[in-house]
Amino acid sequence: MSQAKPYRGRSVVVAFVLVLGFGAVLSRLIDLQILQAAKLGEKAEQQHHKAAVVEGRRGGIYDRQGRILAMNMEVPSVYGVPTSVEHPGRVARDLTRVLPVRADEIERKLRQKRNFVWIARKLDPERGRRVESLSLRGIGTVIEGRRFYPKRPLLSHVLGFTGLDGHGLEGIERRYESTLRGHSRRVILQRDALGRTVFPKGLSELGPHSGNDISLTIDEVIQYVAEKELLDAVNTSGAKGGVVIVMEPTSGEVLAMAVNPRFDPNAVRSLSADSWRNRAVTDAYEPGSTLKIVIAAAALEEKLMTPSSMVFAENGRMLVANTVIHDHEKSGWLTFADVIRRSSNIGAVKIATRLGEERVHRYLRAFGFGERTEIDLPGETAGLVKSPEAWGERTLASIAIGQGIGVTAVQLATAVSAVANGGWLMKPYLVSAIRDQQGRLIAQVSPQVRRRPITAETARVLSKILESVVREGTGRRAAVPSYRVAGKTGTAQKYDLEANAYSSTRFVASFVGYVPARDPRLTIVVVIDEPQGEAWGGVVAAPVFRRVAEQVLPYLGISTHAPVELALVTTG
Amino acid sequence: MRTGIALAVMSLVLLFVWERVDVVRVGYHIERLKSEKAALERERDELRVKLSGLTAPDRIARVAMGQLGMVRPRQGQVILVKVPAQTPDPTGPASMVLGLAKFASTKRSH
Repeated sequence: MSQAKPYRGRSVVVAFVLVLGFGAVLSRLIDLQILQAAKLGEKAEQQHHKAAVVEGRRGGIYDRQGRILAMNMEVPSVYGVPTSVEHPGRVARDLTRVLPVRADEIERKLRQKRNFVWIARKLDPERGRRVESLSLRGIGTVIEGRRFYPKRPLLSHVLGFTGLDGHGLEGIERRYESTLRGHSRRVILQRDALGRTVFPKGLSELGPHSGNDISLTIDEVIQYVAEKELLDAVNTSGAKGGVVIVMEPTSGEVLAMAVNPRFDPNAVRSLSADSWRNRAVTDAYEPGSTLKIVIAAAALEEKLMTPSSMVFAENGRMLVANTVIHDHEKSGWLTFADVIRRSSNIGAVKIATRLGEERVHRYLRAFGFGERTEIDLPGETAGLVKSPEAWGERTLASIAIGQGIGVTAVQLATAVSAVANGGWLMKPYLVSAIRDQQGRLIAQVSPQVRRRPITAETARVLSKILESVVREGTGRRAAVPSYRVAGKTGTAQKYDLEANAYSSTRFVASFVGYVPARDPRLTIVVVIDEPQGEAWGGVVAAPVFRRVAEQVLPYLGISTHAPVELALVTTG
Repeated sequence: MRTGIALAVMSLVLLFVWERVDVVRVGYHIERLKSEKAALERERDELRVKLSGLTAPDRIARVAMGQLGMVRPRQGQVILVKVPAQTPDPTGPASMVLGLAKFASTKRSH
């Protein structure tokens, strides 16, 4: 018994210690789990969960053959944490060997009393890899989206470009901003003690919505041909610039839209807004004699004229409301077809006078002048067609020769396509399909008829006259060997605002036509702004039409009408 | 009986712990794969942009004419021959057979 007492005493002590210990643990547990539960839970949430905004990828832009014209790429941006950089001077010297930033500028940033500074943004991936390989303390890289236009200036006026924030600012990029833009999404990530992401919280928050891809009606090769030939013509003639549009006349699909001067959408920050304006849709010009196509169509449709109707051309000089109208070639009696073939101003004025103001105005509007074509590009102008009430004494005569009216190149292409396709005015368009990132078709654009300004018979008769313009008239230099071409030249004086009169030295030379004339597959409009020297449309613009057509026709597999004698044919 | 219940409870606890550990392990694995996927996608995009730039028509024309000494075919050297069996695609390029015709009178250009 005497030995049991100390044992019991020890047991009591042990039990007491255990109870005390467990009691302490329990009280701490109650404190942490119940009393401080809300506060600590919030703290843990902050430490383990990281909210991140993930940007959805912007959709790409492709040509009609699926070739990339614009796409987003994830590229590195380099940042610094100045508080973690021990030797800013040395780090700056190391970085300047890799980055396109001066050492003193990097050092200045790294000496700032801030937790974060950008050193260089949206770099080439190679530069990012080289920065990472330096393993500099306080320097890191993050991935950001950057828009790339791999074909550089090709189609730049149509594509447009995006800003630093990735939003479309011009062209298709702007017009289809809501289609192309990816939707950003806030994602909650779980992190472990080392800061690594363990698992996204909730499967629905896995990723952002990417933007949709856009397929254009443009063909990259045709676009290249159009831009190259336009550039050559502008350089050769010393012109200010120009426009070439290649359109499929039966559908209104734009195959090429070249605007000169060009720009590189990858580097727009140094350029002015003037250089990226798409003049094919934003600028109206006086079309000159190309507008005689509409006057002729109206006269034929109204049955006022037939190709053999006679018109007296006043031997090259006629007075209209105290203004003398000249023909560049003096003529007496001409047939209606000759008036168009020789581009007689006096003949056109007489035909327009017979039509009268109301009918001329009605046909101009029916062919789409004075209203937007609704092509899917931003900034389109309606041009300028005044209503007859606002016309002066000379307006009808001016319009008959394509002056005193403002049209865009795309309006002209659409109007002439109506003659080419048998009388249907089509809506021109650039986007043919929209697909999601999995390639599923979301929307497909079909050709759309706006109205029918002339009958098929009028179109057929006019087409024959326009063929003769190229065969034996003012448009001979547009002739493509072995193909029938129909078209019309135009040379318009530009209005000099300072002199308040038409300039005698500044012209717009143009040619508009289609080929093959009997089964038109291409409508081509060529506009050359202020060519120097011989500025006639038939001299400056018609050869561009020929050079574009003779390259594009074989590319599209459009056969000639002429029989050929073959000695040997190889295929494949 | 009690031992059985204890074992069952213990098994359930262990199963729960194993499941939690496995979720974390799979989470790490998924994150690693996602990083790999993102890196591969970046590389793919980089290559696509590079390919697109290299196949640009102006570059091909420059290389063909400047470095390889190629010339544009002269008038009459390229002739398209209609093949009735083929349905021409109104939009696609060269949907007809492209024939290279040699005329007896046409000398080859170099």
